[in-house]
Amino acid sequence: MKRLLAVLLAIALLVSGCMDRKDIEDISLALIIGIDLNDEDKLQISTSSPVFSREAKIKTEINIVGADSLRAARDENDRTFTAYTSGGKTQLFLIGKKLMRREGWFKLLDPFLREPKNTSSMCIVLVDGPVSEVMSFNPRDKPRLPIYLTRLVDTASRRNLCIRTTLQELHSIDYEKGKTASLAELRLANKVIIKGSALLNEKGIYKMSIGADETRLLRMLQTEKAGEILFSFKHGNKSGDPAVPDNAYMINIQKYTAKLKTGYSDGRFTFDYRFKIRALLAEKLFSLDPLQEDKVLQAEMNRQLEEKFTRLIGKIQQAKIDPIGLGNYARAYRYSEWKKVQNRWGEALADADIRVRVDVTIASMGAIR
Amino acid sequence: MRTTALNEITLMQYIVLIHSSQVGTGIFSLPRKIADSSGTDGWISILIAWAANTLAGCVILLVMRKYPDDTLPDLFRKLFGKAVGKLLLIPVIAYYSYYGFSVLVNSMLYIKAWFLPYTPGYLIVLLFAVPTFMIVRNGMRVLGRYVEIVFYMMAWMPLFLLIPLDQGHWIHLLPVLKEGWKPIVRGVHDTLFSFAGMETLFFIYPFLRDKKRAFHGLFIASSLTLVLYLFVTISCFVLFAPDEIGMLNQPLMNLLKTIEFRFLERFDMIFLALYLFVVSRCWILYSFSAIYSASRLFDRPDHTKPAAVFLVIAAAIVFVHQPTWNEADRSETVLTILNEWYMFAFPVVLYVAVKGKELLGRLRSE
Repeated sequence: MKRLLAVLLAIALLVSGCMDRKDIEDISLALIIGIDLNDEDKLQISTSSPVFSREAKIKTEINIVGADSLRAARDENDRTFTAYTSGGKTQLFLIGKKLMRREGWFKLLDPFLREPKNTSSMCIVLVDGPVSEVMSFNPRDKPRLPIYLTRLVDTASRRNLCIRTTLQELHSIDYEKGKTASLAELRLANKVIIKGSALLNEKGIYKMSIGADETRLLRMLQTEKAGEILFSFKHGNKSGDPAVPDNAYMINIQKYTAKLKTGYSDGRFTFDYRFKIRALLAEKLFSLDPLQEDKVLQAEMNRQLEEKFTRLIGKIQQAKIDPIGLGNYARAYRYSEWKKVQNRWGEALADADIRVRVDVTIASMGAIR
Repeated sequence: MRTTALNEITLMQYIVLIHSSQVGTGIFSLPRKIADSSGTDGWISILIAWAANTLAGCVILLVMRKYPDDTLPDLFRKLFGKAVGKLLLIPVIAYYSYYGFSVLVNSMLYIKAWFLPYTPGYLIVLLFAVPTFMIVRNGMRVLGRYVEIVFYMMAWMPLFLLIPLDQGHWIHLLPVLKEGWKPIVRGVHDTLFSFAGMETLFFIYPFLRDKKRAFHGLFIASSLTLVLYLFVTISCFVLFAPDEIGMLNQPLMNLLKTIEFRFLERFDMIFLALYLFVVSRCWILYSFSAIYSASRLFDRPDHTKPAAVFLVIAAAIVFVHQPTWNEADRSETVLTILNEWYMFAFPVVLYVAVKGKELLGRLRSE
């Protein structure tokens, strides 16, 4: 009797465990989700997921629907995809620029933060142009789109061509008063091209774009050290030959330290950056002995880098945003002053005095002079 | 007669037992609770709560030291006589079973939310009940061995939290004491409960073989918990924006979600599944305390029946009532108040009673 009871109980328990079972053939993994506004300003959600079937000729299914929310779109997907659409493996979110100009677009991503089964470490990318075109893009020389795009954004961010921002990070910044968001930006023109980074304002609305060079400067201002940082310069005042620019040289930053002093005087914040950079000479297209005239080159690089920094900071201040996260420093070191302006930090930063001093040392000139 | 002679535990088991009674599911939401009441200075509240709880544990040890081989039911009998002692045992049983049940239900809710949304809750509780039953029906020594091996097996878990730390912004922690001491003191109240667990000393201490080391062991166990809590809280503060943490129900889960390897995503799932071992120690210990007291109430040396009754009732309650997250939250508020009385006021009362009896005995002998 006892044994029978135990067996029955075991069966009951084991069978009931299957209620949450899902076979992989039945799941369509939404690897990329695109959100955009269509021509009539209605929300348009597109999903791309792999097909696990030997008989299917095309191994990716794409569905573009008009829907009120992500959850509603999933419902629409389930009507045409094989049953369960799952967001547990999503790699990328493509957001149209048109949508990102609207306030509150970030709230649309709520299900991915709310539902524990969904991941929140996917990357958010801004698309300059219609998202649906990128989603249907099917180049013959590339692996399937989700894999290709994910890898592209990953490697580009490792080269500091764009800033990789995950959903979790964006959620952080959404509540952070002392920093505004920056995302990778791409565009489709016969092929997918990483444009650089897009900067958003405090409300998450798209404000401006910066290119690869400026992205690197921004990363340095954020004192992020990961990845490669390259800069190119022009030597002297002579304009180079357009075919062979005989005044160009390039450095690869081996290591840098950034010191930031936060202050407050005359009713505005002051930020003083001091960069110490150890550089490797990566390219030099003119004759100059780096051993003898390293001082000349270093002074020239200092000046040109400082100019670049100042120009970028000017742009940021004009847009009244803070992608650098200087608000964090203001809070940490000037708390009482920060508290007064924390809800209009963008304006306070536009008013701030930000100075940058750069000190480059050529650590190595390479194998030839 | 020494009832504890056959079930003696080593110092290491004693330490891990205390530590595991403190660490439950609360760790997932701890950083949010602290941030809610005291902002990024909350880690100071943890230090204060740790000191307060260690002190409470010391008071309990002072009480128990007079009767080194007696658990709480025996102590009651010696202090208040047989009938009153048994009567007093009833609220004690209620407290420990309520606590154990709460931890059990909380773990069930986590599993349900993260893995098995469509599986009924009582089935999950039944699954928990099988191993629990097998351990709880035995004595303290088996319990001690279980918690010790789980401790060694799961010691690697906090190390994984180091991985996302390099993306953290330590600047979030500055300035220290940004709003003064007031919010920190407010935060202590919320943190006290996460250190709750000293009350199991009433049942652990009598079984300790080397009683001279009891205070040292208590200190080590409590500090172990302190280090773990500080580490988790500061990790969350560093990784999430100060104004964001209040929006995350379980910041530790969000933190685990960000851990990814090239070959493995969704590390939080694996972590949570294995964390069940860690939490199980907590509910097993509390339900053991309740079951042990219940068997004393009926003067039975065997724990099997009370253990079965406890677990079946637990599953039955979940089957009938189906608790929700909000209810679990509210129940925790009740438990926090109960715990504060039980852990801070009750031992002092007991201490007075013990001293009073001592005095009475001395007067009589004179």
